[in-house]
Amino acid sequence: MIQTGSIKNLVLPILLLIWPTTAAHAGARHFTYIYEAVTSAPGSVDVENWVTWSRTTNPQRVDEVDFRHEFEFGITDKFQASVYVADWLYAANAEHSGFTYSDSAVELIYNLTNPVVDPLGLAIYEEIRAGDRVFELESKVIAQKDLGPLILAYNATLEAIWEGTGLQDRQGEFQQALGASYEISQRVSVGVEMLHEFVFPEWRDNQKIRNFFIGPNVSFRHRNWFVTATALAQATDTPDEADFQMRTIFGIGF
Amino acid sequence: MKKILILVAVIAGLLACESVNYVPPVTQQMAAAKKGRRVDVATLREGRTLLVHRCIECHTLPPLWHYSIEDWPEIVDSMSHRASLKPAERNAVVAYIIAVRATEQ
Repeated sequence: MIQTGSIKNLVLPILLLIWPTTAAHAGARHFTYIYEAVTSAPGSVDVENWVTWSRTTNPQRVDEVDFRHEFEFGITDKFQASVYVADWLYAANAEHSGFTYSDSAVELIYNLTNPVVDPLGLAIYEEIRAGDRVFELESKVIAQKDLGPLILAYNATLEAIWEGTGLQDRQGEFQQALGASYEISQRVSVGVEMLHEFVFPEWRDNQKIRNFFIGPNVSFRHRNWFVTATALAQATDTPDEADFQMRTIFGIGF
Repeated sequence: MKKILILVAVIAGLLACESVNYVPPVTQQMAAAKKGRRVDVATLREGRTLLVHRCIECHTLPPLWHYSIEDWPEIVDSMSHRASLKPAERNAVVAYIIAVRATEQ
């Protein structure tokens, strides 16, 4: 079992180890639920704060706000690493409410091809997440194509999750995400994001759980910071899945 | 038949959009096109590579003819720190853009 305390103790040494001596800025996100194939410049550092609010009403009403604090480092021209220092959440339902530390994670992205000069920009992604009651491996293939001011992005994601007491509950999930973002000015982009999830409790498909979310996004960037927001509504009617969720990522280089 | 026509229309649309991404490969003609002095091909290639990697971290690439040759150095300067461009890399990006523009003229 993963010990949360040991992970927390490792975070600071890792940050100090890979912190470049000449910090510069990383890029801006056009999507919040979808990754882009471009990686950060070597030596760049970004801090990104994520806030995701979701409301579930089936079978009971639950409001949850998830927070993530991420440090993103450009290692080489094609490789970047991120540390999610802390994922934590506030949840409230009819009986109780409160804050909970969830997990910390490491994310690695390797760029294979360029979305401007190659027919398709591709990258591969791996994330390892661990917390008190969760351990997760997440792999993605990221595809992107830039067509003038239009960015098209697609992610295929496979997640393996162990959670609960003793990490005894297993779950698999396959997710497809598709997004488009159009740059209406140098600073502002607007677009749409779609998620299609296939959930496999105990790695079985007996329950045929399928979720589909769709909604608009907007991104604003200026100097060394950006903010991107997406609002998604569930088009399916799956119990225990959010009917509505909204994610905002605020990033700043320093 | 209808589906095929739609597919052809989508592909044609994408190819038409593709022409917006006009970041031409470096040629010997470009290396000789810069007024006053010759820039080596390797520098221009580096400039093109940096342009299509670093600049799109934040925004899509505008057509190079959107701005004049005189404006480009200042435009690149204003974002070179954000794009983590070292001075030599900044110069390579500017050299490539100016070489493309000079070849067009």
